[in-house]
Amino acid sequence: MKKPIGKKVTKKTTRPAAKAAAAPAAPAKVRVATMWLSGCSGCHMSFLDLDERLVGLAKLIDILFSPIVDTKVKDMPQVDVGIVEGCVNNTDQEHELKMLRDRCKILIALGDCACTGNIPALRNQFPLKDCLARAYEQAESNRISCIPNDPLVPKLYPKARPLQEVVKVDLHIPGCPPDADVIWYALTELLAGRMPQWNEKNLRYD
Amino acid sequence: MTATKKISLTINGKVCAGKPGQTILEIARANKIDIPTLCYLKGLTPWGGCRLCIVEIEGSPKVVPSCTTPAVGGSKIITNSPRLQGLRKATLELLFSERNHFCPMCQYNKGDCGLQHQGYLHGINNVRYQYLYPAMPVDLTAKYFGIDHNRCILCGRCVRTCDEIEGVHTLDVAYRGIRNRIVVDMLKKFSESETCTSCGACVANCPTGAFFDKAAAFRGPLASCQQVLTTCTECPLGCGLKVFVKENRIVNVWGDPDSPVNRGHLCVKGRYETWAEPRERITQPLLRGKDGKLKPATWDNAIAAIRKAVKAAKKTEKALLVAPRVTNETAQTITKFTGKIDRLGMYVTANEAALCSDPSFNADAMRKLEDADAIIIIGVQPSRDHGVVAARIRTAVRKREAKLLIFHARKSDLDRYANICAHEVSLEHQFWDEVAAALEGAQRPAIVYGANAMTPIGVTVLERLIKIFEGHPGRRAPALIGLPVGTNSLALAAAGIEAVEDVGPWLDAKPLKFLHIVASDAPDGGAGMLEEKYVPGLLDEIPCVVVQAGYRSALTGKAAVVLPATIWCEKSGTITNLEGRRLSLRPVLPVSGEAREDAAILESVFA
Repeated sequence: MKKPIGKKVTKKTTRPAAKAAAAPAAPAKVRVATMWLSGCSGCHMSFLDLDERLVGLAKLIDILFSPIVDTKVKDMPQVDVGIVEGCVNNTDQEHELKMLRDRCKILIALGDCACTGNIPALRNQFPLKDCLARAYEQAESNRISCIPNDPLVPKLYPKARPLQEVVKVDLHIPGCPPDADVIWYALTELLAGRMPQWNEKNLRYD
Repeated sequence: MTATKKISLTINGKVCAGKPGQTILEIARANKIDIPTLCYLKGLTPWGGCRLCIVEIEGSPKVVPSCTTPAVGGSKIITNSPRLQGLRKATLELLFSERNHFCPMCQYNKGDCGLQHQGYLHGINNVRYQYLYPAMPVDLTAKYFGIDHNRCILCGRCVRTCDEIEGVHTLDVAYRGIRNRIVVDMLKKFSESETCTSCGACVANCPTGAFFDKAAAFRGPLASCQQVLTTCTECPLGCGLKVFVKENRIVNVWGDPDSPVNRGHLCVKGRYETWAEPRERITQPLLRGKDGKLKPATWDNAIAAIRKAVKAAKKTEKALLVAPRVTNETAQTITKFTGKIDRLGMYVTANEAALCSDPSFNADAMRKLEDADAIIIIGVQPSRDHGVVAARIRTAVRKREAKLLIFHARKSDLDRYANICAHEVSLEHQFWDEVAAALEGAQRPAIVYGANAMTPIGVTVLERLIKIFEGHPGRRAPALIGLPVGTNSLALAAAGIEAVEDVGPWLDAKPLKFLHIVASDAPDGGAGMLEEKYVPGLLDEIPCVVVQAGYRSALTGKAAVVLPATIWCEKSGTITNLEGRRLSLRPVLPVSGEAREDAAILESVFA
């Protein structure tokens, strides 16, 4: 990370929400986009677990593009921070991720799927055609057995890949999902212009 | 003497003392300086595989693994520097990327995993190498545990444990480079293994979740469990148990590393059979109804029924039979009632009565066995009945090249390590000359004998051996280690309870109207013990048979009244092991249902 973004918060207080609220109105809010690739949405849920801290955070950031906001935008805007949950499984996801990378300054891989591949990468041990056959032809719940072949359906890659195998990632936040406190720590550090430091107290891989 | 000389070196600027021959890691840990490790485990040969314990030595350009590098006096060691941190991080990242170490899918993800712990300590939030996602097999064919190669880091702790502690060397490492993996008996599955004893030490010593206990799976992280130390009551060794308990359930059972008897090692009986086997527990008193079926009853009704039968029978028509596994405290209670009954006995396996007739405890038997350079087995099967003894014998033979001679014992896996293995004992001079030759030069011989050494053949062997030892002046007398099968039979015999190996005639001696059997928590109610001399119809002829037991069995099936007794993990009291140590049982779980302690039940029946 080269340039610090957001207003630098110099003094730490124990109550994070109070701290965010106490900060005087920032000259410009940090623009954020979040993206949900091959993941379970749990990381976004964990972000929402920031609870009342979201109110303070909303004074500092603007979420312009996200599966959890209701703003309709035709095209992905230019943002300061891109937060991505999930790994890259298909052509469409790769396209979206690359687009976000182009339009953001800092890209954050949020959660284990984005960092390591995690559960979507379980299929990496098996050939793609076996995976598709298991899901669409052999699965007990299938009424008709047909592997989707419409040209509109994005093509699955032979392996699910963590983000950093596709684009440059600036910050990894592990966890399945990362705890809301960890997300808060990472975001507030970034807003303060620092890179989060990881140790046994804030790291969780599960 | 160089052995007593001390060396002094500086670690991280702190002056540390140690002995020559100690490794840097040993001295550092003794001086409370922590160096991260994964493949190192105290008690096993250092392997130098994981490379986490690397340190810098001043004046040397390269880093060295501290677990395998002997300390040199006067050297200056650095255990933590940016360079070492960087190397350790890279090593850990390589480990993470090599196999499928995905914490969310692993039951060891809450503080039980060494790899995860090191990842946290080193602040690894991202692996810079490409994940390989290899397709790794999982072997679930072992009865009590499984191995998931996806989570293996090839630290080799299981291999060394299997080789150096259990002494069977079932596990080893095969293939090269990236295909390198742990194998069982030259590429077999666990179910096909002829050498695995299911001791489960590999599981306890695995730093990751590669080896896991099936019964412990998803019962909760060990790190969150309460640990209770108690004593195994499956054989007269009395191994120390470390029981992991959570929410009144046993999560796992490991050996107690501080126990002088087993020093952390267990056999399949103590490690798994007591808790991982499905056994039907008796939790309330049962009375046999008029239709011949056992029905639940209250304690008051059951005791009233028994006391009625006790009163109706004359003194000569009453007998008490106990399992040889009851505690010393129960034995004290039992002996109070000898005046009220005709016969008091404990049922023991064939020929064990002679072993109990002169109860002799060999203090320090386990240490002597571990130290022996010639081990003679007579009439006992350690690998079936006393697993930890068998492990000590195997390691003595394989690691210290001790001689092993087996006489008059059934076939077992120990046979293949034996210098002389005589299932059938010959009396020819040539054979005994060979025996004498094999024992030539033995400085610390140990004779491990069991019940079958008390047969005429066994006694002959013992006599001849003693003649061999006496015939060579200057040779030390062998340590005699008697191994009964009954857990507490030696102490019970010493307390004055008659050992009965032939239950049939014992019961038949005078007609009985009331027989009380204390089966305690023997898995088969002790029916297995009774079986050999069991006369099936015999119990049917006695009008009132009371069985107090922890589990349903063939024996409780014969009873008119069944009383629920506490089992090993609910008991308190002591047992005396073959070394004469009084070892404490501590309640691990609350008493289940209406079960009561053996002694308390006896009090309410006979007092």
